[in-house]
Amino acid sequence: MSVSKFEISNGAQGLFVKNSRFKTTLVSVNFYLPLNKDKVARYALLPFILTTCGKDYPSFRKLNFKLSKLYGAELTASAEKIGDYQLLKMSVSVIGDKYALDGEILTQEAIELLTSLIFEPKVQDNSFFKEDVEREKRKAIEHIKGEYSEKRVYAKNRLIEEMYKNDCYGVPKCGTIEDVEAIDGDNLFSAWQEMLQNAFIRVNVVSNSMPKGLFDSIGEKLSAVERNNITDISNTIPTKPANEVNTITERTEINQGKLVMGFSLQKFGGDVSTADSFVATDIFGGGPYSKLFSNVREKMSLCYYCAARSVRVKGLVTVESGIEAVNAEKAQKAILEQLKSLQDGNLSDDEFNSSILGLCDSLKSYNDRSEAIELWYSTRISDKELLSPEEFAEKVKLVTKDDVIKAANGIKLHTVFLLLPEVDK
Amino acid sequence: MKRETFESSLGESYVKAVCSSGVTVYVMEKPEYSSSFAIFGTKYGSIDNCFSVNGGEPKKVPDGIAHYLEHKLFESEDGDAFSKFAKTGASANAFTSFDRTCYLFSCSDNVYENLKILLDFVQHPYFTEETVRKEQGIIGQEIKMYDDSPSWRVTFNMLENMYHNHPVKIDIAGTVDSIAKINADLLYECYNTFYNPSNMFICVVGNVDTEEVLSICETNVKTKSPIDIKRIFECEPQTIIKPYVEQNLSVANPMFCLGFKQKIETPFRRLKSKICVGLLLEVICGECSPLYEDLINKGLINDEFSYEYFNGYDYACVMFTGESSEPKTVEEAIKKEIDNIRQNGIDKKLFSAVKCGMYGDAVRRYNSVSEICMNFAESAIFDYDMFEEIRLLKTVTLDDVYKRLDIFDNDLSVLSVIKPLEK
Repeated sequence: MSVSKFEISNGAQGLFVKNSRFKTTLVSVNFYLPLNKDKVARYALLPFILTTCGKDYPSFRKLNFKLSKLYGAELTASAEKIGDYQLLKMSVSVIGDKYALDGEILTQEAIELLTSLIFEPKVQDNSFFKEDVEREKRKAIEHIKGEYSEKRVYAKNRLIEEMYKNDCYGVPKCGTIEDVEAIDGDNLFSAWQEMLQNAFIRVNVVSNSMPKGLFDSIGEKLSAVERNNITDISNTIPTKPANEVNTITERTEINQGKLVMGFSLQKFGGDVSTADSFVATDIFGGGPYSKLFSNVREKMSLCYYCAARSVRVKGLVTVESGIEAVNAEKAQKAILEQLKSLQDGNLSDDEFNSSILGLCDSLKSYNDRSEAIELWYSTRISDKELLSPEEFAEKVKLVTKDDVIKAANGIKLHTVFLLLPEVDK
Repeated sequence: MKRETFESSLGESYVKAVCSSGVTVYVMEKPEYSSSFAIFGTKYGSIDNCFSVNGGEPKKVPDGIAHYLEHKLFESEDGDAFSKFAKTGASANAFTSFDRTCYLFSCSDNVYENLKILLDFVQHPYFTEETVRKEQGIIGQEIKMYDDSPSWRVTFNMLENMYHNHPVKIDIAGTVDSIAKINADLLYECYNTFYNPSNMFICVVGNVDTEEVLSICETNVKTKSPIDIKRIFECEPQTIIKPYVEQNLSVANPMFCLGFKQKIETPFRRLKSKICVGLLLEVICGECSPLYEDLINKGLINDEFSYEYFNGYDYACVMFTGESSEPKTVEEAIKKEIDNIRQNGIDKKLFSAVKCGMYGDAVRRYNSVSEICMNFAESAIFDYDMFEEIRLLKTVTLDDVYKRLDIFDNDLSVLSVIKPLEK
């Protein structure tokens, strides 16, 4: 396996991850734009509308027919928050030509399809068609509403919203229902132009061989666009510690309560500088050897799940757990006691070694999943130098127990969100 | 050791062997991969709540016991299995479904040591009344989590109204009341019945050497006298209980699950039937179908829409699930489309496209060591060669698929709906 980087044009990079183990080629075009409350919803709608129809494929049935004939080529779209940026991703994954039963050419066609959808949308008079916009708006609104139905997702979203009230990171990744309602064919067309003009672009390819002419063809298409104001993706503002912990409680008709806690992280940023925070969060609440799993779940039987995750680029740690309402206070206390214990230096060799071994083992397996490798490279925006999962594993191995304890001491409680049943159960 | 090698047109091959203990082992080498994935499973799931051994008296056990046993097997006298895997860096887990319980790990290093740990802990049950009682809290929380999950509830409400007696209608984890009846003796009894090597399988895929894996399985799985397990189900009438059921939950969008119960005469479906029904579902409402486009354009479904042929020992039905403000309109549209296809036949171009798509999906699955391993488990339960899927997808005809329309009987359909709470 090897990774090569190419400059496609101003603010556009290509990355070729040569990997011979897959039967597929994956091409992913990533657009990075600043998170902006006024524009987040229309930007987020772009990957979806662009991958459901195009100039040559006016209906999604026609498009899906084409994808099926390309042996189930998978066209996917997403809009995510990466630090203070919005990542709009459109990808295609297709099986190798040699697996086609009648000698069809698959890879080249699938890639041309993806680029045509992105650069030649189905538009008229500088506007997307009303029926397409309304269809995608309805789906987006139902998706936003749907997040309320899965309470684990809802509770986490509410925590982030409360924790970052005055920070762009608090903006929901697809905007609010009102934001989506305000989208029309004209402003969506402007958003598409802004995406092409202002986004930092990274095209990632995971394949056995580099598809011919891909980066050149994207460079050519971009040369027709004025790209003078390209997004600098290195300016995420870190989470500031809270002066006072904010606790929000909501009640609804549920059986199991959700306790979600947000912490600020003193050591933040890219992989190179934060391997210690990565290990500290894992020992706090990552694998089954972690303090939260082995104590709060196994020994105290307080929750079925209780896990800590870090978003180091933003300097954020979250703990999520499902609890009985009557145990809410007890669980919160227990979680904070586990953090305090780690901060006080209670860190056994077993805990430390298990974490390093477990993290390095799973980092090594990234290369066995093409979507995972692509995601690895597309979500790392703070490091000047792009580390591979194995190279990052080498940094993890250098972390010492003292580093972990120091990093843990930089984890400070910021906001607590509790979702409880109407009546305590 | 009895062994056989299977090869596919994709250039993959695997070995299936039966060790002297009676356990069946599947190994596929993927030398170019960094990691490996392994499953030690038993053909024992939530539906096995009544059984007899070696022709003896039927034994009825509390609902949720297979899942409870899965939780407890991770413990042993000398520490839990997680702590053993923690020393090697593997990531371990387990799951229980209707017809199987699987223990698994994935790892990049120390695969043989991990395999030994896996084989060892699954073969060493250790529970006391105290450790069994302790688990009730955690599993109770797990049950409550599922009670709040609208996608889980919408499916089980459908199954509860489709099946009169078959235990597939019962929640996999049981209920807070049923798990309160579980004790150490019952767990040992179920363990000694279903965790017999002759009822178990091992699947290993990844950066491994077949001979080494087989030798570890041969040495580390203990022989027990083979037993004859009989699953005992009450007779299932060829009818449903109620065609419509709804529940109010804390959701924003209404959800639905539409099921069609299949009249079956034998416990298992053949692989070819499964593939044909899969293709038929694509023809009826896949992303290339006129119906899907119509439902999306009319605002009746969204990207959450999905469908599956849900089948296992002595149960089979087709399910369509999704979010919709008008579930009954979706139900009518699906039934109308099925009638339409029945009368006018399957569109040839559509058939050729969906067949091509499904073939590509099948090829794609060989990208992932975990997916291959899960497929091995499936082929172990239903006893077929995994590569048969690729061969059948090349040869299956439009007529084969058309014939499967007989599984849709409107008198055997159940619509389950989850509605938002009334304020």
